[in-house]
Amino acid sequence: MSFMQPSPVKYACSCGILNPINKLFFCRHCPKLRCGYCVCTEIESHFCSNCLENIPSSEARHKKNCCANCFDCPCCQHTLSARAATVPVVRKSEETKEGESKESPAAAATPPATASSKPSAIPTTKKIYYLSCLSCRWTTRDVGIPDQGVASGTWPENECLYQARFNTLVDYYQSIVLQEKQEKLEFMRRKAPKQHKFPSLTDRTGLTVSLIRRQIGWHEKSIPKAKAISIPPAEATADVGGLPDDIFTEPLNLRNITTIAQRHGQPGDEPTAVSNLYPQRRSLWIKRSLRCRQCEHNLIKPEYHPTSIKYRIQLFASYHVPEVLMVRCEQPLQPGKANAILLKLSNPTMYDMTIRILSGLPPEEALISPEAFQQACKIKEEVVTSSPLVRGIGLTLSRQNSTREVKREVEDVSNAEIVPLESEFVLSQRDDSKEFDEDVQLPTEEPKFIVWRKGNKVLIRLQFTPADELPPSTDVMLGFFMQYTYVNTVSNASDKKEPTTHALHSRIFINAGAIEKAN
Amino acid sequence: MPTENSIKIMPKAVVCEESNLRGDITFSAGCVVHPSATVIAEAGPIIIGENCILEEYTTIAHRLQAGASWNANNILSIGTHNVFEVGCTVEAARIGDKNVFESKCFVGPGVTVPSGCVVGAGIRMHTAQLLPENTIVYGQQALQREGIEKQSSQTLQIDFLRKVLPNYHHLRKPNHDPKKARSVV
Repeated sequence: MSFMQPSPVKYACSCGILNPINKLFFCRHCPKLRCGYCVCTEIESHFCSNCLENIPSSEARHKKNCCANCFDCPCCQHTLSARAATVPVVRKSEETKEGESKESPAAAATPPATASSKPSAIPTTKKIYYLSCLSCRWTTRDVGIPDQGVASGTWPENECLYQARFNTLVDYYQSIVLQEKQEKLEFMRRKAPKQHKFPSLTDRTGLTVSLIRRQIGWHEKSIPKAKAISIPPAEATADVGGLPDDIFTEPLNLRNITTIAQRHGQPGDEPTAVSNLYPQRRSLWIKRSLRCRQCEHNLIKPEYHPTSIKYRIQLFASYHVPEVLMVRCEQPLQPGKANAILLKLSNPTMYDMTIRILSGLPPEEALISPEAFQQACKIKEEVVTSSPLVRGIGLTLSRQNSTREVKREVEDVSNAEIVPLESEFVLSQRDDSKEFDEDVQLPTEEPKFIVWRKGNKVLIRLQFTPADELPPSTDVMLGFFMQYTYVNTVSNASDKKEPTTHALHSRIFINAGAIEKAN
Repeated sequence: MPTENSIKIMPKAVVCEESNLRGDITFSAGCVVHPSATVIAEAGPIIIGENCILEEYTTIAHRLQAGASWNANNILSIGTHNVFEVGCTVEAARIGDKNVFESKCFVGPGVTVPSGCVVGAGIRMHTAQLLPENTIVYGQQALQREGIEKQSSQTLQIDFLRKVLPNYHHLRKPNHDPKKARSVV
C-alpha cells in the first residue's frame, strides 16, 4: 500500500465526510471518529522553520509573525543563506592615523597604496557577510545592500513608502476600537443599573454621585473619554501621471519586470522592477493542537519544542479503529454479477476486538435520537480548559457555536449490495513480539469467510453484487457498517477505574474498482 | 567519427583514467575531469578551455546531426572556468566562459550559452536559443533572470581537486605540451 496513492477504503467521519483512516482522529471521550473539519485548531507554538527557534506568541505578534534572523529570497521565495567573504583591510590603527593626516575620502580610496608605501601597515583580512540564494543565485549585492560585519541581526529593515501613513492608520483604528468598547461598556452600565438591596439616599432625592461631587466642588470623577485620534483623511486624486514617452517605442525587457509571485511576496510596495526587490523576513510556522469540538478534549497535542516531531497526545484513528485494507476482488467486476472481495483487517489496540460486518445500521444505535445526541454533546463550561498560551494573549475562542452543528447524514455512495457476514469474529490484540514467532498456530474452527489469520490480522471474504444498471468503467462502491468492540482505558467518571468496553461502529466505503468493459 | 580516439591533455590538467572519452578531445591546462565523466566528440572535435571542472556523471556530447558525418572543422569549443556539476548533460552548440551547469540539468543541441550563465539544477532546455549573457535559469518553471553579481570563481575548488584527485585515482598523463611543440617547430 503506497502512501502516495489515494486509499480505496474510506471511513465516514462522525460529521459525514469520507476520509481515509490516516486522515482521521479518534476521540476517546466521545468516542467517535473526527476529521479535520470537526476539530478546533489551536496554535500551540510559533517557530521559524529555518532556524528552529521557538518564538513566544506575544513576541511573534510583535514581530508580525516573522523570524528576526531568517530571510526569504524575494526572487524565488527560497531561504537566503549568509555567505562569508574576506576582504583585505588595512589595520585599524593605520586607518585612523591616515584619516587624521588626510581627509577621509582620500584615505578610503587609497588603502592599498598606503599599505605598500608603509611597511608597518600590514594588510589584514576582515570577514564580511552577504545573503545569497542557493536556488536562483540572487544576492543582497544585486540590489546594493551593503555587506555586514556580522552574519545576522544587522540587516536593514526595508521600510516602504507608506509606512508612516500605515502606522497612523493602525493607531487610528486601534483607538476607534477602544472607544467603541468603552461606549458599549458605558451603555451596558446605564441600561442595567445596579440593583441594591436597600434604596439609597441618592435614589430618592435624585442626587447622583457626580452631582454631589460637582456641588462640593470636586472635579468630575468619570473616566476621561477615549477620543479617536484625528488623522488626515486620504484624498482621491485624478492625476495619476502620464506614461513615460518611451513606453511604446522601447522594447520591453521582461527580465527586469517582477513576476506576480515576487510582487505578492513584498506586499509593502509591490515593486515592478527587479532592482527594488529586498529580502523578506521569513514567516513563522506554527504547531497546532487539535481539540474535539464536542467534548473539548485534546486529540493532538505536539511537543512544545520545535525540533521535536513527537506528540504529547496523539489520538489518530489508526491507533484505535481496526484498519481495513482492500486486497483484491475475486472476479472481474460485472454489473449484477455476484462477486467477492478480500479484505484485510488489523487490530491496532492492545485488546481483542469482536467485529461484525453489517449492511445496515446496528440496531441498538438507532434508538439514540438526534436530540439526545446533541444533548449529550453539550459542553460543560468548566471543561473549557484553554491553554495558558491562549489565555495569555487574551484570545477567547468561540467554541460555543461549534456545538450547534447539525449532524450531517452520511451520503450513501454505494452502488453494490453486500452480503453481511453471518457471524461475528474476534480479532486478537496487537502484539509486536508475535510478528517474529514461528507460525505454530493450530488449525482452529473458523467461520468459513475467514481466509487467513495471523496475529492481529485477518483476511476475510465478503460477498457482494454490483448493481444491475451500472455502465462500464464506473467505479463500484461497497458500503457497509463495521461494528467493533472498543476497550476504553479512559473513563469520563473518575470513580471507576477499570476500562469499559463499548460497541462502536464505523461506516466504510470501498472503491472496488471499475466495471469491466463488455467485450 | 575517426576510429581512433585522439585525446590531447595539456600539462596541469587532471583527467582521471576512469573517465569516458571518445573522439578528438583537447583538455586545456588546469582542467579537472572526475571519474565517470563522459565526453563524446561524434560530429567534430571538442576543445575544453582552461580551468573547467567536469564532475561525476557529466556528459558533454557533440552529437552528429541526422545525415551528417565527422567534420574536423565543426569544433565544439568550450570556454574557460566552466563548471559542469554532477549528472548534467550538455549538448550545447557553443559554450563561453564562466558558466555553471548545475546538477542534473540538460542543455540540448542548438542552445548557445555565452558567458556568466547559470543553468539551474534539473532545468531541461531543448529549444534552440541564444541565451543572453549572465542569464540565470532557475526554479521549476525555468524562470530567467539577469545575474548582476559575478559568479564566484572556482579557483579554490580547482586547487583542492588538483591536490586530492591524484591521491585516489589513476590519471591520464598529459601528452601534449604547447611549449614543447612550439620549440620543436
